[in-house]
Formats: sequence, C-alpha cells, structure tokens
Amino acid sequence: MTASSGDRSQPSGGAASASFDDLVTAATVGLSRKPFAVTELDGPAAAVAGALDTGDPATALLDAAALMTVARRAGFRPEPGIVGSPASPAEAAPELSPRAERSLRQLGGAQLAPGFAAGDKELLGDLLKAAGKAGYVASAPLLPDLLDAAVRTAALRPVVAAVLGVRGRWLAGHRADWQRVVDAGPASTVPTDDPEVWRTGSQAERQAYLAALRARDPNAGRELLAADWARLPADERAALLAALARDLSAGDEEFLDAVLDDRASGVRVIAQLLLTRLPRSRFTERATERATAVLRLERHGHRPSLAVTRPANPDAAAVRDGIDGRLPSPSIGLGAWLLTQLIAAVPMAAWTDLFGLSPGELVALAVEPRLDAARRLDVHAGWRLAAVRQGSAEWAQALLAAGDPDDGGGRPPAAWPDDQRLAAALPSAARAQRAAALLAGTKLTPGPAAANQAIAEVAGAAMPWPGGLADAVMTILGRAAPLAALPRLPRGLLDLAARGLPATGGRDYAAELTRLADAYPQNWTPLVRKTAETVLLRRAFLEEIR
Amino acid sequence: MLWGLCAGSGKNPYQVVVDLGGPAYKCSCPSRKFPCKHALGLLLNWAHGTVPEESAPADFAAAWLADRRARAEKAEKSVVRTDPADSGSPAGSGPVAGQAAAARQARQRAEQRAERVANGLAELRSWLRDQVLVGLSAAAAGPGGRAASARGHADEIAARMIDAQAPGVAGVLRGLSEVPGSGEGWPGRLLGEYAQLQLLARAHQRLGDLPPELAATVRSRIGYPTSRADVLARPAVTDLWAVLGVRDLVDGNVPGRRIWLRGRDSGRWAMLLTFAAPGGGGRFGAAGGWQDPDTARLRPGTELRASLHYYPGQPALRAAAGERQAQPVRAQRPVPAGDADALLAGYATGLEQDPWLTVWPALLTGTPVPPGAGAPGVGAPRGGASGGGPQGNRWRLIDRAGAALPLADRESLWTLLAVSGGHPVTVAGEWHPDGLLPLTVWHGDRAVAL
Repeated sequence: MTASSGDRSQPSGGAASASFDDLVTAATVGLSRKPFAVTELDGPAAAVAGALDTGDPATALLDAAALMTVARRAGFRPEPGIVGSPASPAEAAPELSPRAERSLRQLGGAQLAPGFAAGDKELLGDLLKAAGKAGYVASAPLLPDLLDAAVRTAALRPVVAAVLGVRGRWLAGHRADWQRVVDAGPASTVPTDDPEVWRTGSQAERQAYLAALRARDPNAGRELLAADWARLPADERAALLAALARDLSAGDEEFLDAVLDDRASGVRVIAQLLLTRLPRSRFTERATERATAVLRLERHGHRPSLAVTRPANPDAAAVRDGIDGRLPSPSIGLGAWLLTQLIAAVPMAAWTDLFGLSPGELVALAVEPRLDAARRLDVHAGWRLAAVRQGSAEWAQALLAAGDPDDGGGRPPAAWPDDQRLAAALPSAARAQRAAALLAGTKLTPGPAAANQAIAEVAGAAMPWPGGLADAVMTILGRAAPLAALPRLPRGLLDLAARGLPATGGRDYAAELTRLADAYPQNWTPLVRKTAETVLLRRAFLEEIR
Repeated sequence: MLWGLCAGSGKNPYQVVVDLGGPAYKCSCPSRKFPCKHALGLLLNWAHGTVPEESAPADFAAAWLADRRARAEKAEKSVVRTDPADSGSPAGSGPVAGQAAAARQARQRAEQRAERVANGLAELRSWLRDQVLVGLSAAAAGPGGRAASARGHADEIAARMIDAQAPGVAGVLRGLSEVPGSGEGWPGRLLGEYAQLQLLARAHQRLGDLPPELAATVRSRIGYPTSRADVLARPAVTDLWAVLGVRDLVDGNVPGRRIWLRGRDSGRWAMLLTFAAPGGGGRFGAAGGWQDPDTARLRPGTELRASLHYYPGQPALRAAAGERQAQPVRAQRPVPAGDADALLAGYATGLEQDPWLTVWPALLTGTPVPPGAGAPGVGAPRGGASGGGPQGNRWRLIDRAGAALPLADRESLWTLLAVSGGHPVTVAGEWHPDGLLPLTVWHGDRAVAL
C-alpha cells in the first residue's frame, strides 16, 4: 500500500498558503492520487512554515498538520454573544439537607441503578410526600434524578411535582419529558385568574384555571367548559369534566345530561357519576325508577325482606344512562348483570330514604326468592359497586360485615368489587383497624387465598401504619421468627413492613426487628435486617424534615 | 543469533546460544560466569568470521529464542499504562540494587530500549506517511474498502509499538480505531492525531538535543517507565491540597481514576492517578479494588495536607503522593483564580511546554447554558432541548465576562444546570481541545460530583 516514495511531481492542486482544512482534504484524498505540496501555512503557524521539510510532501503535510493542530489548540477563543436562558427565580422553601438527600438516594436504590430504581417507588413516594407536606423542596442536585424517576414511573409524578419547587419547575421547562412531570402536579405557580391560561396553558394549568373559576363562580366555570367542549380531545374532556365535582349543583344537570351522549365512554362514566350525586336530577329519578322496579321491600309478617324481579333488557334510554347489556364476562348471567347495574346506578342514600332502614339493616335482609342464594349476591353486588363508586364508608362497612364470599361466588371483578376494594372506601383508621383485626384472628399459616387476602388488606392500609396495625404485624413476625422457613403470610407482611412500620414514635420497630434477627438467625433473617435498615433510613430522612 | 556446540568434560557437548540483538547468552554449562567461556569462544569465532551462515537455527537455539520472546512480551504487558493527561508514567521497575553492576545493566537495558523505540518509531513514521499518501479514507477503510474493517485499522501498528516498547504510542493508536466514521469532521480529527504522533516520533529522534524537561515529557508520552521511587526522590511540594475533581477513566484496558488537586498556598495544580488493582474487577466505587486505595477514595469538596512529588516533565501536573494526612477533611468552596480567558491562556502556555497536552485543569465561575436555550427575547423553550437555532446544539459555560466555552456533552450536565439555576456557579473540570468537561460543581459550600 505504499505509494512510490519517489513521487516528487510538482503540485497541481497545492495552494500557496494552506489552511488546516486544505491539509485535511489533501490527506483524505491521498497525496498519491492528488499531489499537494505544503510550502506556506495560514495563521500563527505561518511563521514556522519555513522549517517544513519540503523534500517529501507526505512528511511535510504531517509536520504542517502538527504545527497547525497545536496552533489551533493554543489559539482557541471563547465565543462571545451567547445568551443564557432567564435564570430561575429565588426559592423561598427550604431545600432537603444533604443527609436527607443521601437517605433518599439509598432508599431509592441509587446504588443499584443510575438514578432511582422503580422498584422502590412507593418508599420514595412516601418520603417525598412527607417532605412536600413539611414544606420542603428537593435539593438541586437531586432534581434530574427525581425528574427522570418520575418520567419512568407515572405513579411518582404527582409527589415529585409537589417537591420540585421553583428551581425544579424552572429546570423541567428545559425538557419536554420533564415538563410532563410538572404538568402532573398542582399548577400552583400559574395565575388562575388570567383567561390567557385557559387559552394557551397546559392541560394541568387549564384544569387549575377551571377549578379556580369554578370556586369563584360555578356557573361561569361550567359555561366556559361547555363553550369549548366540542373541540376538546377525549382525555381532556374527562379531566376537565372531573373539575365540576366541586360545587356541583342542579345548574350543572342540563350540561351533564347532554354529556351522557358523549362519544367517549370514559367521559360518559364521569357524567353518570356526577349526576348520581344530584339527588333530584332526572338521571337519578330515571335510575331510581328502574331500580325500584326490580328491587322491592316486602313487609309481610314481622320480618321484612327484599324481593327481586328479573329485569327486562335495557331500552335505549337505559343504555344512554349507562346500563350495559353486554356481559363483562361469561361467568355471570345477563339477568344478574343487569340487576347489579340497575342497583348500582342509584345514589346510595336513596335506598335508606326509600326503605327507611340503615345500610346495616338493609344488607342483613333476606332476598326473595330465598332458595336462590345468588339473588342476594346480585343485590349486594349492586350495592358493592355503588359503595366503591360513590365512596360510601357506611355502606362499605355494612357490606364487609355481611359475610359474603370474597369472590361473590365466582363473579367477575367488574360485577363484584372484592372486600379489599370495598375496604378502600373506609376511612383510613377504620381500614387499618379492619386489617389489624384480620391479622389478630388469623393463624400463622392460613390457606394461600386467606393469606393473600390478609396481605392485600394490610397493603391497602395507609402507610406508615397506625400503631394497632403495626403491632399486629410485629406480633405475626415475632411468632414466625423461630421458624426455619418463612410462611406466606409473614413473608408478605415482612415485604410491606419496610414501608409500613412507623419510623418515628413511641415504639422502636427497627430495634425490635434487629433483636428478632439476633435471637433467631435463620436463612431469611437478612431480610429482617434489611427491613430494620430501611426503617432507620426513613427515620433519618424524617428527622431531617422535622 | 549465534549457536554452537562445545565439547566439555562431560558426555554431552555444551549447547551455546548468543542473541546478538540483546546481547544475551545461554549455555548448558554449569558455569556461573556470565557470559561463560563457551559463549565468549563462540563470539570470538564469529568475530574472526569462522561461524557459517545457516538458514534455520538448531532446535535448542530456536527453543531458547522463542522462550525469550515470550518472556519479553509478558514483561511488556505488565508494563505501565499511560494516561492522556499524564506527563510521567506509573512505576514499572522495582527497587534497584545499588551495585555498580546493576546500574550498568540498567543503563544497558535503557540503551536497548531506546534503540527499540527508535526503530519502532521509524516504522511508525513510515506508516503515517503511507496513510497520508494512500488517503485517510482509503487507508482507514482497509484493503476491502468496507466500513466494517475500518475498526482497528491502526491495531496492527499499535501491536508493533508494543513490541517496540512504546506503549504510550500504542495506546494512542488503539484509540484511533474509533475515529473513522465517528461523525462529521473525523478526517480532521484523525489527521490531527496522526500529526501529533508524527511530532512525537520526530521529537524522539532528537531526544538527546531536547531540554531535559521536554525530553522527559517525550519519554513519558511514548511510555518509558518512570519508577515511583525516582519520583518520590524528587523535591516535595507540601501544601493543603483541595480535591477539586475526580474523573473515572473507563476507556483504557484497565479502569483508572484521575484526581485533580489544587494547593491552597502554592496555588499549584496536581494530578494523582491510580488504576484498578489486577484481579480487583475494576469496579468503580470499591476502594479495595485500587492500586492506591487512599488516592482512589479522595472526594471532591475535601482537602488534605500532603507532600506531593511531581513527575519529571513540564508542565508539571502528574504527581505522586508522599507523606499525607490520613483523613481528608471538608473543604470550603474554592475560589477560581481566573476566567475563561485565563484558562485558555494557561492551556496555551502548557502547550508551549508540551505540544501533546490535551487535558488541562480548569476552575472557573460560569453559567451553564443548554443547547438551543436563551435566544434573545425567548424564555426557556417548552418544546424540549432540541438543538438548532443560532446557538447550535452544544452546551456552553458562560463566564462573568460573557465568554462562552463549549462543554463536553454528558448526562450530568443536567445536574450542573439544576445546581446553577441559570446563575453563575463554581465549576471544576478538565479543559480538552474540544471543550470543557465539568467534574464538580459547588452548590453553596457543598461539592457535587458530576
């Protein structure tokens, strides 16, 4: 591949004074193809061009390139006239301390992956929520990792958005993916009285604007939404319609009734729910009429009972009101499914008003025909759906006490919210109490279904747990400690304990866990120690934001 | 190579081999003199022209030669690694015995090495000439002209440089495999690298004429070993050294870590370098896995009292730590000595002493600007950081005087931006010919590693 070294032909393309680019061009093509002789050089290297060995063009080119490379490096000039973006306004809220930041990174699994691992998102979410509540904002060096974590994990977006602070929102404005995290949070910085926001703002900003207007003047808010309605995409229609939940009044009925004809089912469902909350709306009247036609209170004899009639197939008006003639699953019959829906569409208060009985009394009633036990479950299914949708704690409490099978006798989830979903309608104290009672009454090794249910109920309780539930969990773990292998229930509880056990307060759960691990060294005790460490890290974090 | 058989007192004749290139001797006689009388006799015969030429060596001679080459290669592999910022090399040779004989042997070895390097660099210059004659694109693409073979177009000559005991040059050449097709302007970058190698080869030709400091620089760039003991014998600079930046080097064969220090009283910069210990797995963050764990665990934002010994060569940057305080303590935010212009002027001065200098320590106050941001009259862009616009697609750091330096693109620039919030911040890093690589930013008094 060596070209003839005796190639001394006179340059044909050689410039008199070569720039570095000339040298690159000549070298790229190759001197054997297109001769090029360097005699003079541009720029600061010109002064020493005389030192080049012109006898051999290839060597001269390399020498010249060396001169110019060094000259270019030494002669690098900064660019003038570059303008930075507007600086971030000052932050008034306190920033998380370096120690809090360190605990957060350790808990977030920063050692395992760059930024935060999604697996620890709940823990991270708890701590960020606590920080936000205490009025802290994320420290600046933490912001990119937090924003990235929130981009990866949608569930973290609201809590991350809440601790971004002025600096974080300023930073997120530089990247479209980060800006979406800001949009998921409270749009507290956007002026909510500037009509321009409604015209040009992001979805979150428009939502905040509508909510603010709604608070000032409910009718004006609804009218603003109605005026824009036709040109909004479905997801925005759903999000903005939900803003009407605040200060809902009879004045909204006409608009909501019209929305029952919306193209998107997600939007229709919101309108149905809102209308259910208007006790004297025509929608509620229609639903109550349909439901009372199939469910009656019989007062024969001294013990009242409920009687059901098989519903007819829904007519067009019923379908418009959300009664679905299609089965959610083949495991339920059409009659049962229609009955469930018809009962669920009624505001729960209507039943107590109509029948003059409390939820507990109603749930305890027998349902005719008594020989068909499934009829009672159909009725309860309707109430369960209604309790979950309408969020009625009193009904949820009553239904949970009814002793129905948790799967509704093999019904699909769409037609039978299980106990756990029902328990979610309870106030958090009642929910934790229920979970604690469930644990107190269970064996260490219940059947898999019972164990999973208990774990799910404990998982559903607000974390960190109130003392009663935390103590119940510790009792189970203490009973399991001597065992060589960890049964399903304590294992599931141990997984939850890192997040659920209170990190602060009277009882030092971390120390108790460590004592358990010391007293009973088993294969699984490293898990107990890890849990204790996590509780300690949470404590360290919480102490920093006190 | 000479070989022969010499009848001694035993049943079998002694097998004698002399490698004239070494010179090195091997004889199966039990004599402890070296070379033995049999080897000397063979040499005498050769000097009188009575040793005939043969096309192939005898088996015993060939076996010894092969064994010797293998050992030489092994020794070569265990030798020193170099770092682009390095103006000196890590310790290679062990403690040297004080006897005159050992010194003579060392001098002989050094002469041999210089000769080998000279021969290798002559080959390199011829190879570089070929690249320019054939054309960079054709040469880089290889004989097949396919882009796939462009990878490793310099690997062969790099291997040759290992043989020639010029590992520093070999390292540069291996790095060039990635340049062809590495994005716009690669021929310019490749020619620049070739030209720097040409300059190094030329400098080595005149090594004896160069001022001692420049000669030391040339030697270290080529990869001559410098013993740590020799470095520690040089005068110490004792100061309170602030750790300003830590850079993990992952490109080389062995992971390394570069620590930038600045002396409080002397105002001097120093750079410590350590490599992952063999068998340590080279995992960053595990201090046990380093040849010098005390250096590897230094963190920006701390300072320690230490006596540093600079390696020979100018500008003096690389140092070895002698006596040092065991536990570094928290340091305050450093105060930059100058702005962007001062940084560039310092680098230019460094280039006067070491034209191969590509890494220069930087400490300045500036405001980071993301790509495409801040065109006059426009707020922060809502549509993301897509480039374009008059300000192009590069990150920059603007100093207080309004001078903008390009920043080397990396994910942690977003952390730099977060800490800055659009306000000036103190940044430590490395200046490279194509931009500033930020390593540390100060968030108030707290150092944040980037």
